Amino acid sequence: MPLDQDTETDDATLLARYARGDAAATRTLTLRLTPRVFGHAFRVLGDRAEAEDVAQDAMLRLWKIAPKWEADRAQVSTWLFRVTANLCTDRLRKRRGGPALDDIAEPADPAPGAEGQLQTRARMDALTAALQTLPDRQRQAVVLRHIEGLANPEIADILDVGVEAVESLTARGKRALKAALAPQKQALGYSDDS
Amino acid sequence: MTADRHDTTDAALDQWLQDAGTPQLPDALMARVLADGLAMQPAPGGAVAGRARGWFTGLKGGWQGVGGLLAATCAGFWIGLSPPDYLPQAALTLLVAEQVDETAEPVEVLAYGWVEDEGTDIDG
Repeated sequence: MPLDQDTETDDATLLARYARGDAAATRTLTLRLTPRVFGHAFRVLGDRAEAEDVAQDAMLRLWKIAPKWEADRAQVSTWLFRVTANLCTDRLRKRRGGPALDDIAEPADPAPGAEGQLQTRARMDALTAALQTLPDRQRQAVVLRHIEGLANPEIADILDVGVEAVESLTARGKRALKAALAPQKQALGYSDDS
Repeated sequence: MTADRHDTTDAALDQWLQDAGTPQLPDALMARVLADGLAMQPAPGGAVAGRARGWFTGLKGGWQGVGGLLAATCAGFWIGLSPPDYLPQAALTLLVAEQVDETAEPVEVLAYGWVEDEGTDIDG
């Protein structure tokens, strides 16, 4: 099995291989971690170009720290999400008022002739726009918990808060998200029975 | 009723979030990240070799200093094994003193015997 498709070797082992000059480990880490970092940044920032910059910057920091990485420090993904969350926070602080809704969810290449794909896109755009209405910390917590599927203790490490604070952030964030999405629910094909 | 309505709405939201998935990843981003990684990657064995070189050059005097230290260590070891005839008597005494100590009776045993004798005297 090519290392590019390796799903069993853990991130820390791959990072150690990277530090020893193994180019295949570089490819595997890139393929495995970049989509997650970009996905988080895009959900939090709502802007593809900024999310790309953040993802590249976060991965750059991972490459840099690799030779000094201590295996018992933390999970690589936890560390990387923390870096990403901080980079997103920095960008959000620099913004004054946030992005215009027209700038959110820049269309990607649509699948040709697929109506279902269009609706999926519309749902994703609506979700991305709704996420932008949440306060920064709530948005980060909701994305990490409900989209990335991380456990609360890991999110607590990433956001540098207690587990109870994470529970509170995700609960409040979800309530706010529900309210923001409610008007579009029927139009996007969701019902209370779904 | 209120609880039921919230539950079903939560289910809809959960479904919405699950459908979110990962946004389409720009190919150019992957290429840039990979290029960064390869550019910053240490050469195979490079990091270890770099550390070893740094340790030696960090020693005072560099390789010449290490050579001098090695020569002095060897000379000391040889004198210890085979002291030359011209070495002063006092120095020879110092060199062989350790051997004498090794053959002598340990101090602890002597001390124990003295205490035992003293106890015998008291009892007697």
